[in-house]
Amino acid sequence: MLYVELTAQGLVQGAIYALIALGLTLVYGLLRILHVAHAALFTLGAYVGVIVCNASGSLALGFAAGMVVAGVAGVAMFRLAYQPLLRQPPFVALIASIGLYIAAEEIFRIVFGAQGLSFTAPPLQGQIPVFGGMQFKVAELLMMLSTVAIIGVLGWLQTRTRIGVACQATVSDPQMAESFGITLLKVRDINFFVGSALAGFAGVWVALLNNLVEPTMGSVPSYKALAIIVLGGLGSVRGTLAAALVLGVVESFGTIYLGQLLDRNAIAFAFLILVLMVRPQGLFAKR
Amino acid sequence: MNAPSPRKSFVSIAIVGAAGVLAAGPALADIKIGFNVPLTGFAAADGQSSLNGAKLAVAQANAAGGVNGEKIELVVYDDQASPKEAVPVATKLVEKDKVVGAVSGSYSGSTRAAAGIFQAGKVPYVVAYAIHPDITRTGNYVFRVSAMGEVQGRGGAKLVSTLGKKKVTIITVKNDFGQALAAGFKEAAPKFGLQITGEYEYGMADRQFGAVVSKVKADAPEVIYASGYFFNAGPLVSQLRAAGITAPIIGQEGYDSDKFIEIAGAASEGTLVTTSLDRDSDVPATKAFLADYRKANNAGADMVAAASFTATSVLIEGLKKSGGKGGDALRAAMAGGTYVTPIGKLTFNSLNEVAKDIQVQVVKDKAFRRHSVISDAALLAPPTK
Repeated sequence: MLYVELTAQGLVQGAIYALIALGLTLVYGLLRILHVAHAALFTLGAYVGVIVCNASGSLALGFAAGMVVAGVAGVAMFRLAYQPLLRQPPFVALIASIGLYIAAEEIFRIVFGAQGLSFTAPPLQGQIPVFGGMQFKVAELLMMLSTVAIIGVLGWLQTRTRIGVACQATVSDPQMAESFGITLLKVRDINFFVGSALAGFAGVWVALLNNLVEPTMGSVPSYKALAIIVLGGLGSVRGTLAAALVLGVVESFGTIYLGQLLDRNAIAFAFLILVLMVRPQGLFAKR
Repeated sequence: MNAPSPRKSFVSIAIVGAAGVLAAGPALADIKIGFNVPLTGFAAADGQSSLNGAKLAVAQANAAGGVNGEKIELVVYDDQASPKEAVPVATKLVEKDKVVGAVSGSYSGSTRAAAGIFQAGKVPYVVAYAIHPDITRTGNYVFRVSAMGEVQGRGGAKLVSTLGKKKVTIITVKNDFGQALAAGFKEAAPKFGLQITGEYEYGMADRQFGAVVSKVKADAPEVIYASGYFFNAGPLVSQLRAAGITAPIIGQEGYDSDKFIEIAGAASEGTLVTTSLDRDSDVPATKAFLADYRKANNAGADMVAAASFTATSVLIEGLKKSGGKGGDALRAAMAGGTYVTPIGKLTFNSLNEVAKDIQVQVVKDKAFRRHSVISDAALLAPPTK
């Protein structure tokens, strides 16, 4: 029973990782930029979600606002910081991204205060008993369900709609795509918007699960999401999803059975190194 | 010769007058005390409380006439609770600002790094709430007004036995704060016949404790002894309760913030905290501090604020006795004193540590209230060397 519970908890954690890492994969696939500042959009979404929900009393409105604001901020980041650097070697954009993340953390602290914010009346805090005495927070279950739903919808959009196909074409060969009449800038804007909105979505869920948003809440996701997209095989959406879930479960068992020796984050990176030693292309990518 | 023209003498009176006004205001002659505190980074929330406490102590001392008629000036630098920031900060305080004494409003890592510099510069350094045992072992210029981690841990073990429980699971934040608490708790556990059913550690950045919670549930302890700061403890306590675990939870000074209650919400009710600030105290010094702090900051005081207020006040008391002199005169004046403070009546032992009772607070109706007091001079004795 304990193993079932640990696996379930690992999947909950993995779903959060998946939402964050997915946006990162979209950006990496498109521009080959390691977008560390993605985690700042996760934090931004969480703050906006809590503030709007507290002001309006509506969690749905909080989610919508968190996603839209994170999405727009993501596009702004792309236009203002990354686009001018696209002709530079990739590490230039990476450095800009790290700078953006650090600046964002301090801006959150100055604007919203160091103590962090909480929901005044935290929604979805009830518990639902599952089989065998297991019990979940309503927020945990809804988070899992909505993650599956949103990823399903995205997958459908990507394969079945014009713009989705255009995105895929841009990923595999930007020049060829452009010659077929695809506007690269538009595709990149859309990708940044969707990826960042997902980060904002994850942010609001984490705010609900912890009832706490803080300036530094993105610091672990900022690098762990990078580890996940490497683990999944860079740029592969399916690989990223699988890697996020696997990592969630590995961490879950790791904290219990290796916790005295290694930090949870150390476990994650030890696992990453182990996998890369055996499969340098990542867990799920084809060579 | 010519008598001075009325106009000229008016000017000179005005100059003398202006100089007089300047001297009365903040001027170079002020007594400077240093303060290193994390105002940015992960510990910024505690840093803000700490700064509020220290500022209150300085404001009260200045309102009461300062030291020898001179005003006290608090020279504040941000150390981000990081040793590599604390070293230049301490050096600047000693070399450039030439402070007569200093207060640590920071965590253990940065305080340990700074302590060596103050010791070498012969500048008395009063530590508010950093709990690592090595801090006061740096030398005789380093003082501490709070109980070190091991002592608080031993108090925690006694609390478990007072509650009439035996089976304990320990959840520890993986830094010197958590590990010192766990060490003290485990050291005293056999004395009270406690049985440790499980022991888990987590990182400071963790907010999701799903796996640990599942395991604790399987362990089925009678009490949970969990260390951490309010930003860990809020989510942890809420997740333990959400999983249906009803065993009492004992936290420590790190929980001691209204923010903990805000984060954990209804789940925080009944949580016990071993700390140094009693919200329901009848002691005039404590009552006055709680009221003054609320008036100055429009928020309730926490342990960090009370300890920083205390550390700053102790330093100012010492300065009054040494006549504003620093160095050995101040060190000796401080070491010999007895201080009535919001966190108890304090005297320093030969290691400049204080012995005091531990206040147990319980969360009741969304506030910290008095639960009990642990007084056990032998159990809670700090080391003397």
